[in-house]
Amino acid sequence: MTTPILEIRNLHARIEEREILKGVNLIIPPGEVHAVMGRNGSGKSTLSYVLAGKEDYEITEGEVLLDGENLLEMDPAERAAAGLFLAFQYPIEIPGVATMTFLKAAINAQRKARGEGELSTPDFMRAVKTAGTELNVDTDMLKRPLNVGFSGGEKKRAEVLQMALLQPKMCILDETDSGLDIDALQVVSKGVNALRAANRSMLVITHYQRLLNHIVPDVVHVFSDGRIVESGDKDLALQLEAKGYADFDGAAA
Amino acid sequence: MRQTMPVRLGPAEDTLIAQLNSVGASAEADRMTVAGLPTRRVESYHYTDLKTLLKTVPPLATPANQASAPALRVAGAYQLMIANGVVQGASTAPAGVIVGTTTGGVLSTRDDVLVHLNGALAREALTLTLESSVDPVIQIDRRCEGDAAHVADAVKIFVADNGSAVILETFSGSEAAHVGNHATYLALGKNAVVTHITVDLSSKASSHFASNEYSLAEGAKLRTVTIHAGAGLSRSQVFARFAGAGAHADFTGLNLVADGQHNDITIDIRHGVAHTTSQEMYKQIARGRSKAVFQGKIVVERDAQKTDAKMMMQGLMLSDEAEILSKPELEIYADDVVCGHGSTCGELDEESMFYLMSRGIPKAEAETMLVRGFIAEVLDPIEDEALNEALNGIVDGWLLGK
Repeated sequence: MTTPILEIRNLHARIEEREILKGVNLIIPPGEVHAVMGRNGSGKSTLSYVLAGKEDYEITEGEVLLDGENLLEMDPAERAAAGLFLAFQYPIEIPGVATMTFLKAAINAQRKARGEGELSTPDFMRAVKTAGTELNVDTDMLKRPLNVGFSGGEKKRAEVLQMALLQPKMCILDETDSGLDIDALQVVSKGVNALRAANRSMLVITHYQRLLNHIVPDVVHVFSDGRIVESGDKDLALQLEAKGYADFDGAAA
Repeated sequence: MRQTMPVRLGPAEDTLIAQLNSVGASAEADRMTVAGLPTRRVESYHYTDLKTLLKTVPPLATPANQASAPALRVAGAYQLMIANGVVQGASTAPAGVIVGTTTGGVLSTRDDVLVHLNGALAREALTLTLESSVDPVIQIDRRCEGDAAHVADAVKIFVADNGSAVILETFSGSEAAHVGNHATYLALGKNAVVTHITVDLSSKASSHFASNEYSLAEGAKLRTVTIHAGAGLSRSQVFARFAGAGAHADFTGLNLVADGQHNDITIDIRHGVAHTTSQEMYKQIARGRSKAVFQGKIVVERDAQKTDAKMMMQGLMLSDEAEILSKPELEIYADDVVCGHGSTCGELDEESMFYLMSRGIPKAEAETMLVRGFIAEVLDPIEDEALNEALNGIVDGWLLGK
């Protein structure tokens, strides 16, 4: 059997005294796209932050393996270098740091961590240009400070651009559709779909079914009160849309 | 007559009195005898109590017979040097530059101990007359060399009407516990455009004091950048006076303060006539157990209607033991002006750190990026590429703990 790209076993996490993840189990094999749906406050975004290594959370129990490696022992930068990528729901604005400078630093830091040489400036520029064209990201936008003054759509496109450049094994998309109009949603979804590959898996977190019309998942999980309560194929998302989350509350894990 | 209680003098003051007497500056010696060095009770020295901080003063400097390596090299710059107060021979000046020397102090009289001491002790001043637009960056390399010495030096610069120049002053020298007292007077003629950058790179054992005085004629444009990245104790003073309508200045600076250091930037900006504008932007970064001080005073005189002045201080704390102090003051005597000030202080943003790290950028590198981002506003306006790179290099070096 092939090693799953992501394997989460009985994951419990808390912030201060409040337990938010209450035993998450999830296995994502290579090449599969899984969606996690749940209402606001169910702990979906916490799951994405815990996987990416945000400091605010305390892991009290459980294990997470990324392609067989223990993810929870790594800091956020090491997780990224190991192939994890989180597309933020709200990308952070960083004044004074040009987007281009940031992209180059990120790519080269990851290459260095993996023992590869730095990308030459012409190779880097070529890669950025190619990825940027697909996502309608022009060089003017990349000269601006990172995410500063970007519209909602620009921010999400910039996230997918980073994903395309960094070529992660495991992509987590946290509410990527929030703040997007239909046109922007199509551009972003197209960018994400272009990255679907046999050796890359994705976890798409959303509370609307809408996004899943564009990024069609292999498996849909329903998240409620800190754990997965139901799993099924893409039709489960349609069911949810029709019936709401109430039917799944209190369901046995 | 009011009786003045004599103050108790310490070893630093005793040395200063003897030094002032040895050069015949008896009036200054008397003043020091009566008042001593300023304490926290003197408002302008409230956060930089020299009586406590300046424990000893080394002997007056003698001419240096050797020089350390240059602290900062900027490709293509025209170099001038003052070592231990003595103006050194220079190579052929670029077009439009007249280099000379003169005696005595260069600053206007004001009630400030550092200004008094410099005026009494600086024997020779380097003079620069810039007759037109000068292409290369002019670097004045001011050194304290050899054994620990009390060095007083002075520079006087005139920029002719319509002239322009970028002037960089660097302060450095041997590793000894020098006390440097430096003065620069810079007068901008009508419509002159000048960038004046001062960078303290002297040894951590030394004390660095600099007083820069500016006078701006009609339509003049000035940008100043004051950088502290050296001495354990430092104070840079910026005194400016707007004397012609249409003049504008950006007063900026970086106060980089590491463990065990106390660095102070104090500015006193006077809008003396109508229709002048200024923007003050100072950034302080403190790490370890250290103290960063910014005092910013803007005075708008009665006739200075339509003055527009905006002052900002932003502090970044890199440790819990660091202290950042900020005292903005506006003194406005005109009634039709736009003036404002702001002051903020914080730590590196955790969300930003997480974002950068989540893209694979290691912690130390992410911190450097954020600090560079924080100071970009001050260094970005420096257009000369070699100079901009050199200044960024100083900040990077400081971040690496050099």
